[in-house]
Amino acid sequence: MIPQSHFLILSALLFSIGVFGILTRKNAIGILMSIELILNAANINLITFGKFLGSPDGLGQIFALFVIAIAAASAVVGLGLVISIYRNAKTILVNKLNLMKW
Amino acid sequence: MSGLIQVLNNSLLSQDAVIKATFYPIAFLTLFFAFLVVMSRSIFHSVIYLAFTLIGIAGIYLYLDAEFLAIVQVLIYVGAIVTLFIFTIMLTTQADTEPIRGTVRRMWAGALAGFAIFLILSKVITMTTWHIGLPEAAFVNLRELGRSLMSKYALPFEVISLISLAALVGVIVIGRGRKR
Repeated sequence: MIPQSHFLILSALLFSIGVFGILTRKNAIGILMSIELILNAANINLITFGKFLGSPDGLGQIFALFVIAIAAASAVVGLGLVISIYRNAKTILVNKLNLMKW
Repeated sequence: MSGLIQVLNNSLLSQDAVIKATFYPIAFLTLFFAFLVVMSRSIFHSVIYLAFTLIGIAGIYLYLDAEFLAIVQVLIYVGAIVTLFIFTIMLTTQADTEPIRGTVRRMWAGALAGFAIFLILSKVITMTTWHIGLPEAAFVNLRELGRSLMSKYALPFEVISLISLAALVGVIVIGRGRKR
């Protein structure tokens, strides 16, 4: 069997890559993609703990299902916002969107 | 996974060796594609790599005995969310000439932050003593999953449907724009 810590290290690596993406991307869609990576890292963690610590009714997998549903909703709303911003500002590069910057 | 394990039991190879020989390449490929998602210059290439990353994560779910989650991952993420990303990119990106990446200083700051977070997390993971030795008892099949989703966790399940409805209505309102 593959030890639990290897899954957790994998998830930590995915999370770090997602954080790096959020901090360095200038395109708003790229930032949303990095957020999806982070949510997937969290899902791997949840399912790993559900399997190795033993939840009687599959709580880890149910939690991961809920995270997937929320991630879908957040991606839909985020991309809708990106389209709306593009319609108004004609750009989605976050360093040019400084309308509310004082 | 159990059907696969039965096939492997009949073969000459030991199943542990096969699992080990296939898990690490899949994990490495997943991380490689995830790295390409954040590093590639074109945002469209990035979303294609994201699809590969998500398929790889679905493969990781199989090693965690979560077959249903793997199917849901491929259906919802690769089928729906990646398609949505591609549509949005086609609607908003004018040309590939746009600079995607920030300054070099910002790159270093991001790399430093990501590496620091990974160092802290890996330190915590290796320092903790995890409970091991009960993987067989924790096996959850689809029937059990569906039953507990419909009985014990029925209220969160309904709240999820409410959130989906709110997202649906909200994105229509946001995306339609002002009435002319």
